[in-house]
Amino acid sequence: MNQRLRTTTVTKRRMRTTTVLTYLILIGVCLFNLLPFVFMLFTSLKTDQEAYAIPPTFWPERATLDAYTQIIVWSDFPRYFLNSTIVSLGTALLSTVLGALAGYGFSRFNFRGRGSYMGLILATQMLPGVLLVGPYFKLLSAVGLYNTYLGLILAFTTITLPFSVWMMKGFIDTVPEELDHAALVDGCTPLSAFVRVIMPVIGPGMVATIVFAFLLAWGDLLWALVLTSSDDMAMVTLGLSRLVTQFRVIWPQLMAGSVIASVPCMVLYLTLQNYLVKGLTAGAVKE
Amino acid sequence: MNKKLLNLLLVIVMLAVLVPTTLAAPPAQEGQDYVVVADDWLSKLADKYLGNPMAYPAIVEYTNKKHAEDASYAEITNPDLIEVGWKVYIPSAEEAAAIAPAPPAAAVTLVLSNWHLAEPHWEKTIKAAIPLFEKEYPNIKVELQVVSYAEKDAKYATEIQAGAGPDLMHLAGYSIRNFVESGFLYDITPFVQKEPSGFLDQWYPELVEVLKYQDKLYGLPSDHMAMILAYNKKLFTEAGLDPNKPPTTWDEFVDYAKKLTRDRNGDGQIDTWGFGTVGAVDPGWELRFSPVLLSHGAAYLTPDNKCSALNSPEAKEAFKFWVGLVTDAKVVPPGVTSQGAGAVRVQFANEQIAMKIGSGWTEPIIPTINKDFNVPENLGAAPMPVKAGKTLAKTTTGWYSSWLINKNTKYPEQAWTLLKWLTSKESDQRWFDGARVLSSRRDVSGDPDKGLKPYQPIADDKFSQVIQAELKHAQINPQLKEWPQIADTVNKEVQNAFTGSKSADDALKDAHDQINQILAPYRTAGETCPAY
Amino acid sequence: MNQSLVSKALFRSIRLNTGFAFVFPCLLLLLLVLGFPAFVAVANSFTPVWSNVKTFTLDNYIKLQQDKQFWESLRVTIVFVAGTVSLHLILGLGVALALNTEPLGNWFFRIIAILPWTVPDVISGLVWRFMYDPTAGIINYFLDRLGVQNPYVEWLAAPHLALPSVIFADVWRGYPFVMLILLAGLQAIPKELYEAARVDGASVLQEFRHITIPGLSRMFQVAFALDVIWQFRRFGLVYNMTQGGPGNATDILPLAIYRQYFRYFNFEYASAMAVVLAVIMIAISIPYVRMMVKRT
Repeated sequence: MNQRLRTTTVTKRRMRTTTVLTYLILIGVCLFNLLPFVFMLFTSLKTDQEAYAIPPTFWPERATLDAYTQIIVWSDFPRYFLNSTIVSLGTALLSTVLGALAGYGFSRFNFRGRGSYMGLILATQMLPGVLLVGPYFKLLSAVGLYNTYLGLILAFTTITLPFSVWMMKGFIDTVPEELDHAALVDGCTPLSAFVRVIMPVIGPGMVATIVFAFLLAWGDLLWALVLTSSDDMAMVTLGLSRLVTQFRVIWPQLMAGSVIASVPCMVLYLTLQNYLVKGLTAGAVKE
Repeated sequence: MNKKLLNLLLVIVMLAVLVPTTLAAPPAQEGQDYVVVADDWLSKLADKYLGNPMAYPAIVEYTNKKHAEDASYAEITNPDLIEVGWKVYIPSAEEAAAIAPAPPAAAVTLVLSNWHLAEPHWEKTIKAAIPLFEKEYPNIKVELQVVSYAEKDAKYATEIQAGAGPDLMHLAGYSIRNFVESGFLYDITPFVQKEPSGFLDQWYPELVEVLKYQDKLYGLPSDHMAMILAYNKKLFTEAGLDPNKPPTTWDEFVDYAKKLTRDRNGDGQIDTWGFGTVGAVDPGWELRFSPVLLSHGAAYLTPDNKCSALNSPEAKEAFKFWVGLVTDAKVVPPGVTSQGAGAVRVQFANEQIAMKIGSGWTEPIIPTINKDFNVPENLGAAPMPVKAGKTLAKTTTGWYSSWLINKNTKYPEQAWTLLKWLTSKESDQRWFDGARVLSSRRDVSGDPDKGLKPYQPIADDKFSQVIQAELKHAQINPQLKEWPQIADTVNKEVQNAFTGSKSADDALKDAHDQINQILAPYRTAGETCPAY
Repeated sequence: MNQSLVSKALFRSIRLNTGFAFVFPCLLLLLLVLGFPAFVAVANSFTPVWSNVKTFTLDNYIKLQQDKQFWESLRVTIVFVAGTVSLHLILGLGVALALNTEPLGNWFFRIIAILPWTVPDVISGLVWRFMYDPTAGIINYFLDRLGVQNPYVEWLAAPHLALPSVIFADVWRGYPFVMLILLAGLQAIPKELYEAARVDGASVLQEFRHITIPGLSRMFQVAFALDVIWQFRRFGLVYNMTQGGPGNATDILPLAIYRQYFRYFNFEYASAMAVVLAVIMIAISIPYVRMMVKRT
């Protein structure tokens, strides 16, 4: 009885210190992460004049939604937005599916050349995009995929896929092998073992992989620049880069576009958290 | 009596019937000779004489038939190219009817790409001009492609390498040579040869040389400006300087700058500086540093472009002067090595710097950054300061751009038509009206040697007129593929000197050595460059 | 007895073939789409692929060896990678641990945590450059308001401040990636282990040493290796912030390669630089690859 009381008191005190520490960290994170973003937000609410003012202002003295109106109503941004969303979601989907499958294969199975393939997949990431854009362009034109969604998705997937494979393998490695072995012995095919046993447990890992792939396609500029030519296929980053003209940076609109551009990822993250982490783990098979 | 009256009546009736009918009938147009005058083109003649612009093949057909018999008639090999003074035969309506008119469809679409389309101020001028072209050449449609100034080289280079790209491109001086020497452009020499002699004389010769490589020509010059000193008259007055007497020599310049560097709002800290300039790695960096070099009588390279000339006493003096503005005179705002051209404009518009080096774009851009900057009253323009005691021909830098045709174009003839139109006198005049940018054409920007006066609005504009006067003192950058690398090398060493990482002397020596290494491929085994 | 032997044999044969079957689609896609470009990119360093004249030459590599700028850039890159990766990991781990406790307002904090990552690279670079501006930037504005004597700090202009400033901006932008991976790794550690330890009277530090660290080690390795590779390729942010200046203070290799390719049009030389960078990256990552290939 005494021992339990003692443990509870110790636990409570310890929990308080850890909680304090936790909240300190979280508040610190908020400030650190948010301040530049808040700056972006406030700049987007300023007039052109005020955005360029020296000395600068933090709070907009005369807040206006002009920049947002310009971006949303008077420019092609909604279209760019749509394009970016389609391409990024496509990339995220393709690379996560293929990456998860490959990660499972590398994690659970021993086959000839396993190590070499893993190394090779990672080695593909060592070449910078600058060198690859030209040949990509040629390749996509040759197969008629230039300036198309599919072409962009395939191009981006080749960058995200190697990382997705390694991330998924890592996450799958954390799941004890006994779990899916049990399923296999019970007569499951490896694929269904993967879907029924592994996937529910690696929810957070899948979220990380999907968000990573999405953001990579979303934030890229060079490939979007070269692999599209018509304005109706342009992506958000391309549209935003045009606000950096030869003579000045059109700050309010650039910031407005960037603020809006942050939203899809956050929506995606929240949605994934809801469905992949909560939803799947609900039916997880626990050992 | 009755018979006479009846006869008269008959005559009147006949006249009443015949005359109107004769008058109403279309004049039975005869085939005719016609001598081509300026601003004529075949579809225009066909429209005027035959009532249908697409009927011009008839003119071609008949003229050539006549030419076979009589050499005084011209031979039209290319319906898009007719010359002033040619004698052509415009057939009668019946004769024309025998020849099928050109199919109205089969319009060719050319893609035209220009970074100015990304700038709100400039894109309007271009978008207004294109329909004028399309009206004149109904067979050619022009599709506009936007690209930002910073990304254009990457985009064009990649696309051209892979066999695609826009038909017409507009490039700024610093990358033109790269495109020319990398074989990315269409050789327009054959087209130029068909033009009347003296065609290329319409532009300043050094700007045409930019586009020549191995005896071929790869584009036509477009914009041309000279760097001048822009200054804030209000700040001059506040500092006790005469706003109508800008500095003329570099020594005066430093003097002025020191007086202009002060604490304006009385809080004990300096908040206005005399001079602001580009210190970051920026394509516009060389436009600001080169005038200093030139006006001291120095040059980047030796005349044969094989060695660096930065070891000359003049170059050392110029470099030390420039670096001294930051390290000794302290007339430049802090952080100059991170300032790009845009940041300097913002400083100037906010009256944080009193002087800057700029050109035609300064005037329209400043009000868009700061509405309260009273441009007509406060924006002053002065020729680039010079080194006292030196009279030199070239004392400032020239900025220039060109229109070029992609080597992959599927429609070279139409692209050539568009290229000529874009660099014509009317187009350049329109461009000045809308964008305040001067032209590479002698007949627009003026050439006193040839007795050509500039376009009147240029002479009337306070700011542009200073630029126009400086054009003859403007020197463009050395024309070689390695130029961007050379410029970046000097830029980085200037940065090192500004920040104090290296002494000015060491920095210049390093620049000198690195440039000599870059130029090594141009030297034969025996040739060496003088040491620093 | 027979049955278990048979099932074991079956098991083994399934393992040998199906493993590859899982991996095959991924390999196929990479080969089809990346094969040609990667080949061209490497070949370009030996012979000009795009021109009509094709001569095999090692000139580019010889030139590279003597290029002082290249080695200086490599040094800067290594400092940059070391600085950013270590800070990513420290910050990422701290935040992941904090979020793993599922505090009040979990959703809110999670959104904030990944916020910097959602801003495209190039935009981050521009925004931070603006914020760092000595006279027009918001950071010095705050310093001025706080009464600092010389508020015009030259964050990106002074050579000794430029690289740290760039690293700081990149940490802001990049740590959420590491944080998310580590968080997923932490969430994979069964809660029962902690409960059991608590009942046994273990302290927070002991829990951390004996449960968290071993449980997280695999994901930590993954995060570390991937982040290193990723940071070696970082381009957009640094390019828009400093373009490599002042001098060579922030001139990381991807910037130098981009410049050689698109500003100097030295296509073959840029390819050689990239190949050398790739070889260095492969060499650095071999021990980690080995560690991760090993089956736990």
